[in-house]
Amino acid sequence: MSHAKNANSNRERFLSFSLGCEEYAVPLLAVREVIALPEYTPVPYTPSYFLGIMNLRGQVISIMDLRQKLGIKPGANTETAVIICDLNGASIGVVVDSVNTVLNPDAADVSDKPEIQSNRPTDYITGVYRKDKKLILFLDLSRSLSLEDHAAVRKSAEVRAPKAA
Amino acid sequence: MDDFEKELKLGFLEEASQLLADAEQCFLALESNPQDGPMLDKIFRLAHNLKGSSKAVGFEDIGVFTHRFESFLLKVKNGEIAVSSSVISLLLVCNDHIRSMVDTLKGDLDARIDSSALMERIESASQGEIAHETAPETVHETVEEENFEAPTPEEVELLRLVNHSFDHEIAPVIESAPIVKAAPVATAASAPEELIRVSLARLEKLINSVGELVILQTVLREQSLSSNAHLLRKTIHQMGKVTKEVQDISMSLRMVPLRQTFQKMQRIVRDTSGMLGKKVGLLTSGDDTELDKTVLENISDPLVHLIRNACDHGVESPETRLSKGKPESGTVKLNAYHQSGKLVIEVKDDGGGIDGAKLTAKAIEKGILKPGTVLPEQEAIHLIFHPGFSTKAQVTEVSGRGVGMDVVKTNIEALQGEVQVETVLGEGTTFKVILPLTLAIIDGMVVQNEGCRFVVPLSHVHETLKPGMEDVKHTTTMGEVLLLRGENLPLYRLNTLLGHKQAAMKAANQQIAMVIRYAGNPFAVLVDDILGQQQVVIKEVGQEIQNLKWMSGSAILGDGKPAIIIEMNELVKPAKRGAA
Repeated sequence: MSHAKNANSNRERFLSFSLGCEEYAVPLLAVREVIALPEYTPVPYTPSYFLGIMNLRGQVISIMDLRQKLGIKPGANTETAVIICDLNGASIGVVVDSVNTVLNPDAADVSDKPEIQSNRPTDYITGVYRKDKKLILFLDLSRSLSLEDHAAVRKSAEVRAPKAA
Repeated sequence: MDDFEKELKLGFLEEASQLLADAEQCFLALESNPQDGPMLDKIFRLAHNLKGSSKAVGFEDIGVFTHRFESFLLKVKNGEIAVSSSVISLLLVCNDHIRSMVDTLKGDLDARIDSSALMERIESASQGEIAHETAPETVHETVEEENFEAPTPEEVELLRLVNHSFDHEIAPVIESAPIVKAAPVATAASAPEELIRVSLARLEKLINSVGELVILQTVLREQSLSSNAHLLRKTIHQMGKVTKEVQDISMSLRMVPLRQTFQKMQRIVRDTSGMLGKKVGLLTSGDDTELDKTVLENISDPLVHLIRNACDHGVESPETRLSKGKPESGTVKLNAYHQSGKLVIEVKDDGGGIDGAKLTAKAIEKGILKPGTVLPEQEAIHLIFHPGFSTKAQVTEVSGRGVGMDVVKTNIEALQGEVQVETVLGEGTTFKVILPLTLAIIDGMVVQNEGCRFVVPLSHVHETLKPGMEDVKHTTTMGEVLLLRGENLPLYRLNTLLGHKQAAMKAANQQIAMVIRYAGNPFAVLVDDILGQQQVVIKEVGQEIQNLKWMSGSAILGDGKPAIIIEMNELVKPAKRGAA
């Protein structure tokens, strides 16, 4: 704790949001802005969580549904939001259920993810934060979205031949 | 070093690059016309400028070198040293040296560059000349050159060419002279038109914002239609005109003339032919043709390669040419023009042409083709684009190891362009590089399918028609076929191509067929409706979906929603495979 107090101002901040009834967070520095779900154009031959492309003030960016990506059931409320993230210089829109708050966690409250036997890849979870009996998972967005998505998109582009025929 | 000083230095380096490029053109122009007094004055002014400003901002190395350089130039200007091919060569070497100094300094402002070796060369050249001061009028003699360095036979030849340029046998060289001269003059004439440099990134931001402005304007106009305020509607109408103009201007900002790229080629031809011991003249035309900055940057390397190839593989050696009854000096023509919304750059040589039979034999020898293969002439010629194919027996320093032509082709295709070859054995070869004017805007046809809009590049659409019931035949083995004026075109449905599962196939006569004849075999695609044609700005899509080959980008339509730009050829590929 004493260490954390010294580094109070240098602590990394996170933006937390809901996916279904679970709570996740991403580093605030990766977030460019948060907007309401805009109209978007679907792109054929992409995975279902790839919603399509949207116009962000003259720039065309991809928009993905993080809930579908992670296999989480959407929440009851319809108040969806899009977090525009900056991943390695490229912008991407991520659909979440609702944006909650900015977290400024003590390092001591953040732990590594527990070793759980799971057949789902969990390498995109960078840490686990416990706050007032709530559990918030920290996400590495580029790992949870883009890298894997390249592969997924490529795959769907390859297998589309039989589908189209 | 404080920021101010740094800025000054960087500013100087930018300016110097420009001065050096100008100077190079002047040297080359001087070579074709050694008596050109005004040109000498201009060169001298350029050198003096460079010396003055380099000293002023504190680049001592450049200052010292350019000082020597200037003294040498002064002697040339005063006629103490005659302009000869080797003098020009020395001047060009010096120019290159200064350019490399500038480039080094751009990387490291405190770099020191040793130029003593070159300075000695200049020194000995100018010392040697003073002895010959008594013969200032001997421009046409080669005596002086012995004092520089032993002139190579080609240089003597070149000089002969310059001196006897009224000989009708080398008419092409005469033709080229005024063109070479014209370029720098034109630059000088357009100088009063003040210029500023703007970074491409800022320009792109502007274009982006203007695009948004246009969209908002459209929305505003639609809103105003429901209003009765006369003045409001009039103002919006006016604003629409201005907006359109702003958009046109902002788009044109990206367009630059080919001039500088073409000028660079003069030097390439000179150096390449010199190295090969050949005589080659370059004729350029259409150098004020404009094209997009991005395309221009990417076309330079392939063009250099084509030019070198023309000098190396195209134009024959002087002996061969004479024995064939051709003028000793070969000609490479570089020509640019617009044709049906595209830019065409031609590289034409009057060399030996490409022998298809020889290529086939070579390809068989290399194991690219099976023994005994006989290819049609046109296909055989396209073997030069095969990776790892070099038509010259020995590897040359000039054209490399045959890794070139396939790279040229790939680079040009990456720019949405194509390369065509026309060759006549014994008479020469023409490479035609056909490029889009810009990568940023295309004329598109907006089509609708299942409530979604897509853009198809207009250049890919040959025609559109509403097929009659009897024009569309369904076959189980080949899918649907469109009968079009005696042609049988494979017919695809955009729906199926995009992977939609169709509940009920719409009757073909309720849809519209687009005939695509862009490259490869023609085919037709059925779409629900065509909404119109418009110019669209191509927007790159995110990395995540860039490997979808059938999607060449996206465009923002009038209502602000993005639409996918479809590359039909790619889209039907899997369907074709499926049918085969």
